Amino acid sequence: MSFWAELAASGLITGGIYALVAMGLNLQYGLMRIMNISHGEFLMLGAYLTWLAYTVFGINPVAFLPAVALTLFIAGLLVYRLCFSRIARTSPSVEVIEARSLLVGFGLMYLVQNAAYLAWGADLRGYSFLADAIEIGGARFAANRLLAFGFAVAASLALLALLRWTMIGKAVRAMMQSPVGAQLVGIDTGVLHPLVFGAGLALAGVAGALLSMVYEITPGMGEPYTVTALIVITLGGLGSAAGCLVGGMLLGLVESFGMHFTSPSLKMLLSYGVFIGVLLARPRGLFAR
Amino acid sequence: MICRTAIRLAAATLLAAALAPAFAQDAPVKIGYAIARTGPWSAGAQLTQEPNYVMWAEGVNAAGGLNVKGKKRKVELVGFDDRSEAETVVRTYEKLMGSDKVDLILPPWGTGANFAVMPVIQKYGYPMIAPTATGRKLLGMKNPYFFAILQQPDLMMNALAEFLKARNVKTAAVIHVDELFGLEQASALEAAFKEKGIQVIEKKSYPLGVKDLKSVLNDIKAKNPDAFVALSYPPDTFLVTAQAREIAFNPKAFYASVGTAFPIYRDKLGPTVEGVMGLGTLNPKTSAAAKAYFDAHVARHKKEPDRWASAHAWAALQVMEQAVAKAGLDRKALRDAIASNEFDTVIGKVRFRNGENVSTPGVVSQWQSGEFEVVWPPDRATAPAMHPKPSWR
Repeated sequence: MSFWAELAASGLITGGIYALVAMGLNLQYGLMRIMNISHGEFLMLGAYLTWLAYTVFGINPVAFLPAVALTLFIAGLLVYRLCFSRIARTSPSVEVIEARSLLVGFGLMYLVQNAAYLAWGADLRGYSFLADAIEIGGARFAANRLLAFGFAVAASLALLALLRWTMIGKAVRAMMQSPVGAQLVGIDTGVLHPLVFGAGLALAGVAGALLSMVYEITPGMGEPYTVTALIVITLGGLGSAAGCLVGGMLLGLVESFGMHFTSPSLKMLLSYGVFIGVLLARPRGLFAR
Repeated sequence: MICRTAIRLAAATLLAAALAPAFAQDAPVKIGYAIARTGPWSAGAQLTQEPNYVMWAEGVNAAGGLNVKGKKRKVELVGFDDRSEAETVVRTYEKLMGSDKVDLILPPWGTGANFAVMPVIQKYGYPMIAPTATGRKLLGMKNPYFFAILQQPDLMMNALAEFLKARNVKTAAVIHVDELFGLEQASALEAAFKEKGIQVIEKKSYPLGVKDLKSVLNDIKAKNPDAFVALSYPPDTFLVTAQAREIAFNPKAFYASVGTAFPIYRDKLGPTVEGVMGLGTLNPKTSAAAKAYFDAHVARHKKEPDRWASAHAWAALQVMEQAVAKAGLDRKALRDAIASNEFDTVIGKVRFRNGENVSTPGVVSQWQSGEFEVVWPPDRATAPAMHPKPSWR
C-alpha cells in the first residue's frame, strides 16, 4: 500500500471509531432532540459489561455484543420511562425538550458514573482481544480497530436505509418534523419515542463494547466521548446517519494527515478548525436538509 | 461522589463509635488529606496512593497506635474526594488545616495537585512528603515544608541515558505528552542524551487524550532509530505500545513512561510487554522488605501496587512515622526531623536535601516474563537487561 493510502486508511479507521461513538447520540439528539449528555456514561457501561463478561466468564466479546445491545436497550426503555417521557409529553416545543433533557442528562451522568466508581473502583481495566495486526496490501492494521470501523460503516448504512426506505423510518422522521402531525396520521409516538431512545442507548453500549477491545476503560471514560459525539453529529448534520459517518471520517482524516504534516500537538486546533470551517459554510452541518 | 464520601464517612463514624469505648484513653491523631476518588486523576491515585494510606493506618492501629515521642496513640484518617480538581484540593486542605486543625496531613496525588497545595502547607506550616510529584519547578519554589520522595526527571532520564550508552545506542526518537510532566522529562532527556552522545533524530509532542499515534510511529519507524522513548501518561503508554506492535516497529530499546509500572499494563497487554522498559523503582525481588510490602498490599487490597511510585508512597508514610516517633506532633520540630535525618524505608535509605530525596537513584526497569525487573543501575538490578528487545509477541 502506498504511503498516502496508508495514511488515509488509518485516518478512516480512527474516523470510523468517532462515528461509532456518535451514532447513539445521533438517534437521541439528532432525531428526538433529547440532549442525552450522559451518552458517554452508557457507552462506559457497555464497555464494563463486555470487560466483565470476558474477564470473569470468558465470553467472547464479539459474541457478547447482542447481549450488550439488548441490556442497554432495556435500560434505555427504563431510563426513558423514568426520566424523559414526562419531558417529551409536557414540553411545548422541541427547544424546551432540548433544554430540559440537558439538565436531566447531567443528573444521569453523575448518577451512572458514580455508580460505576462504587461498583468497580477507579482503577484502569482492560483486556486484550483481537489485538493482532492484519496485513492489507503491505500496511498493518489492528484487527479490533478494523472491527470497530466495519461495525460503524455497516450500522450507519443500515440506519440510513431504515430511515429512508422503511415505514418505521418514515414514522421516526415524521415524529421529528412534527410530533402532533405524526400523531394525527396515526403514528403512535408514545411507543416509537421510547423505542428510538432505547436504540440510541443500545448503540452507545455496542460502541463501548467495541472500544473496550481497543482502549483501557475507567468509570470516567465517558465524558470525552460525549464531546466527540456532539462534534461529529453537529458536523454531519443532526439526525443524518450518513452525516454522522462522513463527519467522523472527516475528523479522522484531518487528524491523520494533520499529524503527519504538522505536529500531533496541533490535533485539536486542526479538528476544531475544520469544525468551524464546515459550520461557517453549512451552519446546519454537512448533510442537513 | 458526594454519595461515596457520605457512605465512607458513615462507615467511619460507625466504626469509630464501635471502637470508642475500647480506646478511650487518648484522642486519636487526626491525619487529613484530599485525594482523587473520582475523575481523571482517580485511576492513578487509587492505584498508587490512597490504598497505601488505608493500609498504613490500619497497620499502625493494629500495632497499638502511632508512636508519638514514645506514647502510642491511635490514628484516624480524614480523607476527602478532591474530584480531580485543583481548586477542590486547595479548598479541602485549607479546611483541614485552617478550621479542622488536623494533626498531620498527607499529600494529594499528582504533580499538579501538589503544586497547587504548596502555598497552603507553607502558610499553615504542615510538612508534606509527596510520592507523586516530580519536576524541578516544585523544588524550585524552595518551600521548607515540601519534600519530594520520588526521583526527579533528570535522575530518571540520566539513568536511561547511561543505560542506553552502555549498550552502544547511537540514535533515539522521542515523543512526549504536552503537559508539564512530558515537557520536563523531555528537556531532562535531551540534556542527558546530549551529554552521552546519543543523537535525537526525531522529537514530537502530542496532546493528552490522543486516540491514534500510528502516523507518528510510522514516520519514526521509517527513520529506524536504535531507541524509542515515549514520555507518556497511562492512556498513551498503552496506545504507543499497542500501535508500535500493530505496525511492527521494533527498535532495540523501547521505553514508555507513566503506566509501564502498573500491573494492568502487563495484564491488559499480556506477552506484548516483554522487553518494554519504563519508570520503575523496585519489585518484590528487590529486598525482603519490598516483598513484604507487595504481599501485605495484595492481602489487604486484592491487587498489586505499581512498581514505581506506590513504594514511594509507602516510604513517605514510613518517614512520617519515624519522624513523629522522634519529634512528636510539633510541626516545626517534625519538619526539622524530616529534613535532617536519614530514614529506613521500603525503597532503601532516604535522606532529604533541600526538600529532595537524594538517596534513591534513577532507575530503569524492564518487563521480563511478567516481572518489571530493575535493569539499571547495576547495584540495584534484579535481572540482567534484555537488549536488544525481542520482537513483539
